Amino acid sequence: MDRSITTTNTIRMLFSKKPKGDKTGFFTSPKRVLAYIALILFTLLWITPILIAIGTSLRTYSDILLQGGPFSMPAELVLTNYRVAWERGGLSHYLPNSFIITIPALFLTLFLSSLSAFALARFRFRGARLILVMFLAGNMLPPQVLMLPVFRLTDALGLYDTYWALILFHTAFQLGFCTFVFRNYMRTIPNEMLESARIDGCGEFRIYWQIMLPLILPAMAALATLEFTWIFNNYLWAIILLRSDSLKPITAGLAVLQGQYVTDWSVIIAGALMASIPTLLVFVFLQRYFLSGLTLGSYK
Amino acid sequence: MKHKPYAILVIVTMLLLLAACAAEPIIETVEVPGETIVETVEVEVPGEGVVSEKSIVIYNSYQTDPDPIAAEKHLISLFEEQNPDIDVVQSNIPSEDYKQAIRAYLTASTPPDVLTWFAGNRARFFIDKGQIMSISDVWESEGWNEDYPAGFKALSTVDGEQYFLPTSYYWWGVYYRISIFEENGIEPPQTWDDLMAACETLKSNGVTPFTIGTKAPWPAAGWFDYLNMRVNGPEFHVNLMLGRESYTDPRVETVFTDYWAPMIENGYFIDNPSAYTVPEAVQFMVDGKAAMFLMGAFIHNVWPEELNDDIAFFQFPIIDSSVPVGEDAPTDGFFIAANAQHTEEAKALLAFLGSAESQQYFADELGRLPVHSGVDTSGFTAEQQQGIEMLQGADYVAQFFDRDTTPEMATEGMNGMIEFWDNPDSISSILERLETTRVELFETEE
Amino acid sequence: MSRAKLTSQLTPYLFLIIPVLLFVIWIVGPMLCTFYYSMTRWDGFSAPEFIGFSNFGKLLKDPVFLISLKNNLKWVIAFITVPVASGLGLAVALNREFPGERYIKAAIFAPLVFSMVATGLIWSWIYNPEYGLLNQVLTLIGLEQFAMGWLSNKDLVMWSIIFVAVWRQVGYVMVLYLAGLSGVDPTLLDASKVDGCNRWQTFRNVTLPLLSPITVVVVIVSVIDSLRAFDLVSVMTRGGPYNSSSVLANFMYIESFHNYKMGYGAAIAVVLFLITLVFIIFYLTRVLQNELEY
Repeated sequence: MDRSITTTNTIRMLFSKKPKGDKTGFFTSPKRVLAYIALILFTLLWITPILIAIGTSLRTYSDILLQGGPFSMPAELVLTNYRVAWERGGLSHYLPNSFIITIPALFLTLFLSSLSAFALARFRFRGARLILVMFLAGNMLPPQVLMLPVFRLTDALGLYDTYWALILFHTAFQLGFCTFVFRNYMRTIPNEMLESARIDGCGEFRIYWQIMLPLILPAMAALATLEFTWIFNNYLWAIILLRSDSLKPITAGLAVLQGQYVTDWSVIIAGALMASIPTLLVFVFLQRYFLSGLTLGSYK
Repeated sequence: MKHKPYAILVIVTMLLLLAACAAEPIIETVEVPGETIVETVEVEVPGEGVVSEKSIVIYNSYQTDPDPIAAEKHLISLFEEQNPDIDVVQSNIPSEDYKQAIRAYLTASTPPDVLTWFAGNRARFFIDKGQIMSISDVWESEGWNEDYPAGFKALSTVDGEQYFLPTSYYWWGVYYRISIFEENGIEPPQTWDDLMAACETLKSNGVTPFTIGTKAPWPAAGWFDYLNMRVNGPEFHVNLMLGRESYTDPRVETVFTDYWAPMIENGYFIDNPSAYTVPEAVQFMVDGKAAMFLMGAFIHNVWPEELNDDIAFFQFPIIDSSVPVGEDAPTDGFFIAANAQHTEEAKALLAFLGSAESQQYFADELGRLPVHSGVDTSGFTAEQQQGIEMLQGADYVAQFFDRDTTPEMATEGMNGMIEFWDNPDSISSILERLETTRVELFETEE
Repeated sequence: MSRAKLTSQLTPYLFLIIPVLLFVIWIVGPMLCTFYYSMTRWDGFSAPEFIGFSNFGKLLKDPVFLISLKNNLKWVIAFITVPVASGLGLAVALNREFPGERYIKAAIFAPLVFSMVATGLIWSWIYNPEYGLLNQVLTLIGLEQFAMGWLSNKDLVMWSIIFVAVWRQVGYVMVLYLAGLSGVDPTLLDASKVDGCNRWQTFRNVTLPLLSPITVVVVIVSVIDSLRAFDLVSVMTRGGPYNSSSVLANFMYIESFHNYKMGYGAAIAVVLFLITLVFIIFYLTRVLQNELEY
């Protein structure tokens, strides 16, 4: 069997059916059962606020007021909040926009930051430290302060009110953090792997593409999850860099649910819960990439 | 690689970038051939794609509550019916964000043409910076000089030119639970002494007289506005807002020490007000734990419909009958951006929005009060009539604390009020601090 | 030979050119603008007026600045201890196969995904002094005296907010450490067991050092995020009551966008930036020197 580490092989391996882990054999001792129960309880406690959110999303705000607050027993449970959030929040036409903005930005970010991380992790050259600090420094300012300069820059470039404004900005903004993470992660990869490829006459880009990338899949998965979360849920830049209603992502759409004087909180919460679903799906899907020892085991 | 060219490259780049931001903001008046815009705007005509023959007007609004948005959309479609060659491109953004984003909007190369906004100091700010187009011609041609009450025209005028179109306003009052008053044998108080007596009665029967939520501090400012206007008169109050009176004036201190602090110390307000938003404060009233709430008419946006028969308001009690009566009546309206690209269409839309018909619709649907005197008020609810009567009988109409004074003074002032609430004894030092701010903001050369 | 050498010398730069260009235009440029604005008086509209360092002088005397700074430091201390330890612990504990592992991890991660507005709202309800879950539970178990105004008490409010921030941050740190653990060669762990180390020793002497590049990321990110924290404060209290929960980013936002003092706001941002930079450079230099060369 060809056990060489190539991108295609790794992907093949990941998408093949995993031999069913011996899950039934997990509960081998009472200690384990107890630990598991404790874990479940801990997790439920952890997500209590989210459970509260789900409960609230099934009541109207009137019901909350009349029954004595958010923690009172509801008089009736309804699904109207979801319908209202969907319709008033315009989710059906804003949701595609969210994806149109997030997916390209995500891929661009991961690609470009792994490129620069590769250079910073693998080579010693003048300006390496400066560039690293520069990437980090980009994250040190609160984004709000960049609002006006970025707005004017975008306008000057003629990109105001376009998808590209957001895609490019998010990519640029996340580059710093992702480069840093990738760089540090890449430094845990033993040099011998890459050296042998170089001796074999591989060009640097090939080494990056075919060897390094598969090896950093866990970091890729982690960053893909985090970046998806941040870009998909970002609100500030959507309202600054966009004006047309037809381009807006769901964050801008849901913000409309906040009234000038008063807001129907039940609807907002329903909207927020719906907006969390794509990210959570991404997270669950990417979990398969957090496989300990998968790639390293193949060294042998 | 040598150091030098590398370093030079870095420095040159930095200088270029710096030069870019030191430049004036980009306000271009682009010559638009004819009045048709083709490629940049997605006209909201379902299924038709980009329309090329019509002219457009871009309309931005901070209305996001469901009823106002629906009313707005209805009016916009009416306008489009009457003007088939104009398409309205509408955007709605929540008001808190709108207040920040508006400056980005106004400096864009294609700004929105017509925008919703608040009267008072907030409009003044943009007018003074030349960001708002004069619409005196529209006032003239639409006959608003006759149809709009003088007070509202004054509100919209700067240096003899009209810049603002005021279209709706609402009242503030003390809202109360009718049933709780009845149970405790209380009549809506008209004087301060009556109010204090009512509070005592309520308290002795286990009901907190007043609820309030000051997580966002403006509800506290409502108390300041009214106490100040009742004790010292609206003229003094407005001058204070304009920075012409001093915060350390004993008249200001009296408001806090002789009227407000005793109420707090007597337990006439709920505990921990700064933990609650307005809806959370309303909860106390719904539960019957509190009886009254000094609030604007929009309390109805929160108040459960099931209890609509059990809520009414009375005018904030008179403290000194020799003092003129001032009321808060924040006014909303529209303006046209100075750099609007579609001036003719914008003025047409504005004329429509300022007409009696539009305001009639808005008033009927939303229960706010119209500015246009041609609007038929006979169909209004009893509460609306009560509101109109109260405001028409007032000697002066103010815009509310955070719209009457500059934003920074408003923030400082309101923070001071919350600090006072937490520790009433510290009022002297708070007022001194506010006075320092006032001097800095209003008397120092900007 | 010279051509090959030139190529290999140029290679890192070739890898870097597009990312760096993008970054410089969109981020560094606006950042430099901010530095410039911090030395001006500017309302966001008219041309900025250069006033040198007077914004900074004013800042040092501004009581809100000092309150904000203290609050941010509280945040830093909280962030570099609690989420790091618990995120690491959770990652290690959950880094194995068991039923429902994906969903449990997703649950730990979920707080980060839930919108800030909604998060702030739910927690405000929990903290509600009269009707909130926390006080009701405390009263129920007889600890009434601890039922306080969590968001209205000026001494408690910052910690109440930080608690929520930590709750969100743990999932984030956990994900980073999970990725890190995936890169730990299991043979090294086996070898350590064979040598007679128990679980804790293995963890301390083998796993932890191998995770140190991730720990560096986590620490740096924690510091940066706690110094520029904004959303939760903005949503839960807006910095109130009367600035007791003000943090630098929130303070900057109000000055810039509410009071129209963009120059002053920029100065706040610059100070924030410098504080962060000093720490990062100090920390990073030590780390880079000690980096294990494989």
